[in-house]
Amino acid sequence: MSEVIRNDARSGAALLRIENGSFAYKNGPQILKDINIEVSPGEILAVLGPNGAGKTTLLRCMMDMLHWQSGRSLLGGEDIRSIPASKLWRRMAYVPQARSAAVSYTAFQTVLLGRSSRIGAFSAPSDEDMKVAEQVMERLGISHLADKPCYAISGGELQMVLIARAMAAEPEILVLDEPESNLDFKNQLIVLDAMTALAAEGVACIFNTHYPAHALQRAGKALMLSKDGRSIFGDTTSVVTEENIRHAFGVEAMIGEVETPHNIMKNVVAVSITEEGNGSAGRAAEEKLPVSQNGGLILASITVIMRSNERAGLINSAFREYNHLLIGRMGLPHRRSEKYIISVMLEGPAADIEALSHRLSLIPDISVKTTYE
Amino acid sequence: MSLKRDGRLGAAWIIILFVLPFIAAVIALGIGRMSISPGEVFDVLRSALSGKHASSELIEKTVMQLRLPRIILAALVGAGLSVSGCAFQSLFANPLATPDTLGVASGAAFGAALGILLGFNLIGIQILGLCMGGAAVALTWLAGSGRDRGGLSYIVLSGIMIGSLFSALISFIKFAADEESQLPAITYWLMGGLDKANYRTLSLGAPVIIAGVLIFILIRWRMNLLPLSDDEAKASGVNIRLLRGVTVVAATAVTASCVSMCGQVGWVGLLIPHMCRMLFGNNHLSIVPASVSFGAVFMIIVDTMARSISAAEIPVSILTAMIGAPFFIVLMRRSGGWRI
Repeated sequence: MSEVIRNDARSGAALLRIENGSFAYKNGPQILKDINIEVSPGEILAVLGPNGAGKTTLLRCMMDMLHWQSGRSLLGGEDIRSIPASKLWRRMAYVPQARSAAVSYTAFQTVLLGRSSRIGAFSAPSDEDMKVAEQVMERLGISHLADKPCYAISGGELQMVLIARAMAAEPEILVLDEPESNLDFKNQLIVLDAMTALAAEGVACIFNTHYPAHALQRAGKALMLSKDGRSIFGDTTSVVTEENIRHAFGVEAMIGEVETPHNIMKNVVAVSITEEGNGSAGRAAEEKLPVSQNGGLILASITVIMRSNERAGLINSAFREYNHLLIGRMGLPHRRSEKYIISVMLEGPAADIEALSHRLSLIPDISVKTTYE
Repeated sequence: MSLKRDGRLGAAWIIILFVLPFIAAVIALGIGRMSISPGEVFDVLRSALSGKHASSELIEKTVMQLRLPRIILAALVGAGLSVSGCAFQSLFANPLATPDTLGVASGAAFGAALGILLGFNLIGIQILGLCMGGAAVALTWLAGSGRDRGGLSYIVLSGIMIGSLFSALISFIKFAADEESQLPAITYWLMGGLDKANYRTLSLGAPVIIAGVLIFILIRWRMNLLPLSDDEAKASGVNIRLLRGVTVVAATAVTASCVSMCGQVGWVGLLIPHMCRMLFGNNHLSIVPASVSFGAVFMIIVDTMARSISAAEIPVSILTAMIGAPFFIVLMRRSGGWRI
């Protein structure tokens, strides 16, 4: 019942995959049906869906905290259930919702707990463990919280401490359960920026969210669950559409664009509740969630300004993947300010150009704008 | 004299925690109906260590045969009860979880009383106490957890239920016991007292307590994972079931062993760990050794008071409650709430 949209132009080695995952609680309805996802290093996957659609259940099944009824999760091609816990949790780390976290220790001690799988039963953290914890906190900009007890810091700060704890395990995959819930605007940005920066350094991130806009602004891939168990997975721009939101959430929504000096950001506004109700349970089950369709070939140009060449690798790999669209490219280093301007001319289906443009907009610390014919 | 950043104790604290029980023990050895100066106490200890006899046989007998085993027992029971209190608090992520409130102590007391009724020896009494203490904590766990580990009230309420169930069973044993010999023995023993301490009792009960305390000291950093929510704990990559299992077995065994040697001594398991948490924070790297040391010192002091305040010996649990209750209220109000 799930729809997997694949962009054949892209073929990164998947770090984490779910194959045909299905789950139901005892004596309960089928919550998750035939889930198929894959996430590569450095990618962000957003899991969307209305309350009760099984977002947290999906994460818990994926991490083997709950067991799939059928199907399986694979980490680097290996079934997660066959990987010993101490090995698994060095490669994958979990960031719980801040309100369900234990808060008795200082921030630094909490971050150190992230090293548990590397510390023997009868040992205490070594100097190296302490160094890693300090570095992670510095990287996330929360060193000043180190000696504060976790119950005495704000919700946003606690969320950052929990991310630091997860990163202290030096994982390849970060799984975050609604990291930006219950946070104010500024703290949402801090948490999402941290996640984006980690992804830019190669960590795969999977996060649950209530905000379709956050998926569009941050995630390259999205999985949308609806209450009747149907799901749709693919590039965020093709998953998070007005039509899919209407079907999954039962909400008439409009997706618009907000132009900032640096970027064009997508935004989602919920307009009204649709009459068909939540999850359109009354509709034929065979009906597939619609997919956005491409039109004919169009011309476009994308201009990127890099404030440092730190992100050059990410930008180049994005262009390489969409090489078939490129008809011209110009790179201009501005030596005096050490900034770089890249301009590319493209010809191709509107959907592909939009996908590339979206992919670039997810890279932190750069300005990107696309002009269409 | 401060904590390291990761919660480890500084060198000064380690020395204090190590030396304090010995100082308390030497002072306590000199206190009693017969007052003995610290110099004489050292004299006796030194000659005992070198296998010779001290100058005064009476002093030697008082120190070595009467007071020393009792003080060792007090130190072990204090250390054992407070470290298992600390472990139970973390295991249930609940500041009010202690051997008393979880019903473990009542369960162990019931087992021990049953053992006395059946005329078992101390080993039998201990084993029966351990089994019943284990049964009590299992029942409390079954009745009170599962829903919401964060909810403080479930565990403590079900602990109170299970505790009163076992108290009723103890009353039943008293009812069934022989009024002439067994009933006074059970009643007096239940009030808690260390007056029957001798080296034979110690040799049976001490190994369990020492082993339990050692286990907690060894795994003290890993105990920091105990209060975490289920998913967080699993995501640590540590075998959390094994950790919880070891904790509950060790804490129950230590409690049962204490109870079968000297009856129900309340308050220690609640008071001392909280004192340590207020001093050092919640990191087990520091509060486990601190609970062991302060628990031992506290019990030595209280037991010395119990045997020297009046001509007749006062049951020690009366004293711990009289000191513990007001002290605890003061601590609670000053700290403005508690957290695990």
